[in-house]
Amino acid sequence: MTDVNAARLGTRTDAGDPGVGRGPRRVPAAATSAPAPPTGPRAVGSRRRPRWTEQRVAPYLLVLPAILIVVLLRIVPLVMGANYSFTGDGDANGVWVGLDNYRTLYHDEVFQIAIKNVGLLLLALPVAVAIPGLLATFLFLKVPGYRFYRSVYFFPVVLSPVIIGAIFNVVLSFGGPANQLLARLGLEPRDWLGNSSYAMFTVIGVHIWATFGMALVIFMAGFATVDQSLLDAARSDGANLWQTVWHVIIPELSQTIQFVFVTTMIGMLTGMFGLLYIMTGGGPGGATYLPELYIWIQQGQMNRPALASAASMVLFVLMLVVGFAQLRLLKRATKET
Amino acid sequence: MGTRGFSRWVLAIPMALLAVATLYPLLFTLNVSQKTRREYILDRFGLTDTFGVSNFVDAWNTSGLGTYALNSVIVTTGSVILLLLFGSMAGFAFSQLHFHGSKAAFLLILGALLVPFQVVMVPFFRVLGQIGLLDTHAGLILAYTAQFLPFTVFLMTSYYSRIPGEIIGAGRVDGASTFGIYLRLMLPLGRPALLSVGILNALFCWNDVLISLLTMQSADHRTLMVGVTALRGQYSDNIPLFASGVVMAALPVLVVYLFFQKQITDGVTAGSTKG
Amino acid sequence: MPTALMNGSRSRRTTARLTAVATAPLLVVLAACGAASDANSEGASGKLVIWDWKSGDPAAQAYVDAAKADFAAKHPDVEVEFVAQPFDNYYTLLGTAIESGSGPDVVLFNGGAQLRDRVDALVPLDDYLGDNQERLTGWESFQDEGATYAVPITLQGEPFYYNKAVYEEAGLDPEAPPTTYNELTAVCDAIAETDKDCFSLGNKEGIAMEFHLSTFGPGVFSPEQYDAWLAGDRDWSSREVKQLFDMWVQQNEDGWFNDGVNSTAMFMDEFTMFQGGESGNVVGLISDVAHWKSFDEVLGDDLGVYRGPVVTEQGQSLLPAEGGIGYGVAEWTADPDLAYDLVDSLSSTAALTAFYAEAGAIASDTTIDTSDAGIPAVADITSWLPESKPSLHTALSADTLDLLHRLSQQLIDGKVTVDDALAQLAASDEQ
Repeated sequence: MTDVNAARLGTRTDAGDPGVGRGPRRVPAAATSAPAPPTGPRAVGSRRRPRWTEQRVAPYLLVLPAILIVVLLRIVPLVMGANYSFTGDGDANGVWVGLDNYRTLYHDEVFQIAIKNVGLLLLALPVAVAIPGLLATFLFLKVPGYRFYRSVYFFPVVLSPVIIGAIFNVVLSFGGPANQLLARLGLEPRDWLGNSSYAMFTVIGVHIWATFGMALVIFMAGFATVDQSLLDAARSDGANLWQTVWHVIIPELSQTIQFVFVTTMIGMLTGMFGLLYIMTGGGPGGATYLPELYIWIQQGQMNRPALASAASMVLFVLMLVVGFAQLRLLKRATKET
Repeated sequence: MGTRGFSRWVLAIPMALLAVATLYPLLFTLNVSQKTRREYILDRFGLTDTFGVSNFVDAWNTSGLGTYALNSVIVTTGSVILLLLFGSMAGFAFSQLHFHGSKAAFLLILGALLVPFQVVMVPFFRVLGQIGLLDTHAGLILAYTAQFLPFTVFLMTSYYSRIPGEIIGAGRVDGASTFGIYLRLMLPLGRPALLSVGILNALFCWNDVLISLLTMQSADHRTLMVGVTALRGQYSDNIPLFASGVVMAALPVLVVYLFFQKQITDGVTAGSTKG
Repeated sequence: MPTALMNGSRSRRTTARLTAVATAPLLVVLAACGAASDANSEGASGKLVIWDWKSGDPAAQAYVDAAKADFAAKHPDVEVEFVAQPFDNYYTLLGTAIESGSGPDVVLFNGGAQLRDRVDALVPLDDYLGDNQERLTGWESFQDEGATYAVPITLQGEPFYYNKAVYEEAGLDPEAPPTTYNELTAVCDAIAETDKDCFSLGNKEGIAMEFHLSTFGPGVFSPEQYDAWLAGDRDWSSREVKQLFDMWVQQNEDGWFNDGVNSTAMFMDEFTMFQGGESGNVVGLISDVAHWKSFDEVLGDDLGVYRGPVVTEQGQSLLPAEGGIGYGVAEWTADPDLAYDLVDSLSSTAALTAFYAEAGAIASDTTIDTSDAGIPAVADITSWLPESKPSLHTALSADTLDLLHRLSQQLIDGKVTVDDALAQLAASDEQ
């Protein structure tokens, strides 16, 4: 079995990597396979090409709109925000205050909670990946009714987070259906969104509910590429279900797992605002703050855009660090399998 | 996979429970949308006694959801067109063409994935205000394009990189220009991906509340999801009305989903698997 | 994916399907484009834009119409556009507008901290007011350092509402609501014997604690202490303040409230529960929302109202009330005189009478006759207004209020002690 795996690994690394560098790496092949164009000069020698042939300019024109939009509406605001973060609010509007805003953040208890909760999200990440992974496995095993489940599980993905938040507000209220169910089962009711010890977990749970369909679909697409002969081999070796999952399916899907990890992380760190805003508003006692919500509240209710900008910069750096660290970790993990 | 029948049935139990957990909140909302305000106050969680469309009619009339829906359609259509156009152009270039700075440019766009909207929110609106697009449809279309473009470029690049380079080569032999190849080869070849990525982007734009709320300041420019959200809050205690708004806003989305389930799931997977 | 790529027939079929679905909206878009661009082409000078969170409410229509008519008589050529923003995000939207230096000409504000934090973006109105200064009350909430920034249209206050049917069920006299804290405790003990809650309470936003301070504060503080608090001289370590916070914790421990206080939204779950007959009492408002008129629609004759009970020997029983909401003029408006004329129409007696009668607000206009409302509670409320004093919580800054919100939830959760909470509040209030 391991031999077969090793053989597959080679093809996988070649064809797999969905992201960075993939396109460009392939390009030389495309370029060399292209026969020389009718225009004469190019055939003479690659060093003395004229500067402005259609072929040389076209790629830049093709990427220009995307680059312009990203630079104008993301990079420029990012730099402006970095600039604001060193100015003051209120009376000190526009005045350079150095690192004052960052100092305020450092001492702000609510912002500390927000950062701590980011850590909690990272801890929840494996769960958020494992659940759809497991479900995809079940579906792959063609559990009775799997076609129905496949449709139903994707359902929440198509709903707006704000609406999902509003619905769960009612469902998870103290006298609501969730606690009625617990009561029927003879269990104590819980203040799902009102107990600071676990309100954050409740919101994370709803976020997973709202998004697992997306990851599930990605996993199922990955399963479609698993080599049936490997599964047959595992079966003839007498492997049970879990051994099969562990030794065949997970290694086969490392590429997919990587992708799901990254997209789920981005979703958790940037996509929970709507839920939080509706479900807890950061409460109780600030226990469910995330940096995004903090930025929103400081900029709006508290009327402190400069402090909000400083918090934005911290969140951005955090995203960069987590993003790169994760790519690193996953790259290494994949190489080891 | 030869899993024994018995264990498959055991697995089916949690699967079924999860399906109930997935559907229940939606059915619950449908139930609430059927109640009158009084009925809801007196019995919030019970089954409704009344059935009908009066709440839907009320929600539609009193809150101007008709205008909002129109705005949503305009903005969603415009955004999706721009996203697909710019996304496929860039995706083609990144995956099939060789040029200096290609890697840096790709990283720049991907890096934008790591910039949450809140991070650039304050200056973003200053920029939008300076180019005179605050509170316009064009402004919101641009805002959505900026928000979802990195994702779109990524998926299109990933999809196009599966197309063998020989196809481009063949195009070159025929004397086609790069733009000619884009128009006559890449766009038609990219159709399945464009379809699914387009549907996904349409869902994202349709469902957005935050960006729309801040960009569209005047009432007649508001989009549907913002209008629905406004049905609930400190100054509106008519939860059944809100639930009706939710049902109506989600309905087109669900219809699109049921029709294009396959395409949507293909779109999601475009970036994740080997060819 | 390659299979999808090669399978031409399937993608053609889906394309056809997509075309069908996509064409319909596209046609609508084309038809709508003319209308959509019209709104932008109007000149700024001939139009005034008002932001509020009320004008979308059908109950406020009569008010909006009356104000529009009054303004149209003065300036027939100027168009007025009301933009009802969602209240949840109102001040965030306003912040964005202030940031970008463009937005409405006339802005609705809550009195107190929300207005005072944004006076830089408003025109001082003192030179414009004239007779209005006499006719209207509630100015203090809209003043900052001696200057007036908005014209009040309603008064806001926090009375106790009660459900007479629940009182009867608990064996209490439905016509004799409590006047002292001991009596209130007895009421809660009696109601505890039924399956109802004594109070409906929602502290998800943390606002319930503001109301607690303001409704029990007069009964605890001495009059001098009360005035000093409003004037900015606040001793967070005093016996009285500690007693107020202890009462908050104690009431929760004694089971006065519904379960899940921290996850129940005041707007509107708390009030929904009270109206649904799930509790005997609730602290409500007198204007805008959660007031005598909206409660009356469900409870009818069962609705009663009383003032906060006397707690200590030095305490008093009064209805805390002050200016509620009011209109200001944005600093960037092209013609402040014109904008003020609109504010003047929005606070005209005709408009405010309609607001009182239809939307259920206690208007700031002292010349409106409220004796014919047909709802007994409103007669009680207006009779208490002359003795009213501003609420204790509106004297606090937005920062301190935000901290108070969080601490109140932590007190319920048992995550902080009263002494610790008061120390934090004292530190915040000093800044």
